[in-house]
Amino acid sequence: MTVDAEEVDPSAAAARSVPADASVVLRQVSKSFGPLVAVSDIDLVVRPGITAILGPNGAGKSTLLRLICGLAKPTTGSVWVAGGNPRFDDTARGHIGLVPQQDGVFERQAALETVTLAATLSGLENPEAQARRALNTVELDPDLGRPVGTFSKGMRQRVKVAQALVHDPTVLVLDEPLNGLDPRQRQHMIELFRRLGDAGRTVLVSSHVLDEVERFGSRVVVVAKGRLVAEGDFHEIRDLLDTQPHRLRVNCADARSLAAELIRSSAVLGCDIVDDETVELTTDDVRAARRLLLAAGRNLDQTLHAITPLDDDLESVFRYLVGRSA
Amino acid sequence: MSSARRIRALYRALLDQQLTKSRLLLIGGFSVLALVLALSIGSQVEPDSRTEAIVGFLSVYGLGFMVPILSLLFASTTLGQLVEDETLVYLWLRPNPRWQLALAAWAAAATIALPIAVIPLSAAAAIGTGGDGGIVAATGLSMGLAAVGYSGLFVLLGLVFRRALLWGLVYIFIWELFVARAGAGAARLSLNTYPHSVLARLTDIELPLAERSMAAGLIVPVVLAGLSVAATAWWLNRAEIT
Repeated sequence: MTVDAEEVDPSAAAARSVPADASVVLRQVSKSFGPLVAVSDIDLVVRPGITAILGPNGAGKSTLLRLICGLAKPTTGSVWVAGGNPRFDDTARGHIGLVPQQDGVFERQAALETVTLAATLSGLENPEAQARRALNTVELDPDLGRPVGTFSKGMRQRVKVAQALVHDPTVLVLDEPLNGLDPRQRQHMIELFRRLGDAGRTVLVSSHVLDEVERFGSRVVVVAKGRLVAEGDFHEIRDLLDTQPHRLRVNCADARSLAAELIRSSAVLGCDIVDDETVELTTDDVRAARRLLLAAGRNLDQTLHAITPLDDDLESVFRYLVGRSA
Repeated sequence: MSSARRIRALYRALLDQQLTKSRLLLIGGFSVLALVLALSIGSQVEPDSRTEAIVGFLSVYGLGFMVPILSLLFASTTLGQLVEDETLVYLWLRPNPRWQLALAAWAAAATIALPIAVIPLSAAAAIGTGGDGGIVAATGLSMGLAAVGYSGLFVLLGLVFRRALLWGLVYIFIWELFVARAGAGAARLSLNTYPHSVLARLTDIELPLAERSMAAGLIVPVVLAGLSVAATAWWLNRAEIT
């Protein structure tokens, strides 16, 4: 039998097992949309500092963030954020600042109006002054009078970040926040998020770009197919990814003789001859395999036209992690 | 900070989103048509049956079409548009009770619906009757009650249904225009019957659907608006926000 998370007091259930320094706790959280399971049985404790949620598109990152903000109710399990359940607890919700993934903004308002509204609704004194401060933080001119609807994607993104920051939230939830920003703005935002993390805020940021996550220098939670498949600091995750088998395609003069040469080495786990001039090999040590290829080319006196990694993309990394956790 | 200040901020933000050029043109069109038709009726009908003709026209055009359709257009998009363009999250996530958002949405919708219901149709009543104060007052009150009730109902409809405009038109044209007129039980579930009753009783002219008491006519639209605000708040509490 599944228990509807809202039939019991979810915040109380979660609070029983909340570590003292945790700001976000998910216990056995699942979320289904009809037959589609978007998030499956996730246990997660998030502490102050930056935590990156890494996963391919459609992995369930946004659903996970929506659950954390209380925007969606879990099918099972419980969510606890800053002392309560954000779906029902105004105080808990007041601790959250969200930059949603979607592009929607109040098109007819000026940036200052949008952020002032957010400040007013958060109960701040002197909301306009707070809105100006937040807009300055994201390097947007508060006196830019034109409607947000006329802004570029990057400027709209900065308005979204400003409205999320205006009430100085303890938990900042950022769903792909660097989308649409130019490189300089990206760097500025990354530095801003790092500063907030260093200052003791909990910054949860989702991304599907590994390099982006690396720049946050953060703890990483890897989500794939709705499941949490790995977590640790970035270097741990990177090391973990490096243990997966890699595949290389080699274009050469004689695939058959090259494959026969390669298969003798322990660095090569397998070889497929694709055609007379192409061989694909599987290895768990890419550097050793490359050295071996060059040596084999010399030994056989044949030219290697190209060596192409076949699975250096993030999707294959996630596939590997999913398979590993299963 | 007081609840009133937050509600005012929500109200202003929601109101700002409503007034677009195309909608203002539509309001203007409906209003001008009301005045032209009232003038035409007033000039063509004999003086002793003029009041009856004008009240009949206000019942059909005002209560039957103009007020419900314009209320639907504005009220259903007050929150519905935010759902559609995924901006509701910016208001929903703030630490405020849901009733404040529901109340602000109704107030924003009614702020537009009330004057566009009361002013042009009262003016039409004045033009058509040659300035009969009693008819003008009855028109203003009944149209105002209709606008208040429909605003609440259609704000909720816009939040709950994706194609709220379509469902609202089905309610107006199928339920209120046909089903409600077929039987007393169905009529009781039609909002239109209450302002119709107020208009009929204050003008002493028999109108279809005008079978409720004066008290019911005055109270039910306001109560319905209040219940709609409560239901909107309840829905906002339960809904999943994108």
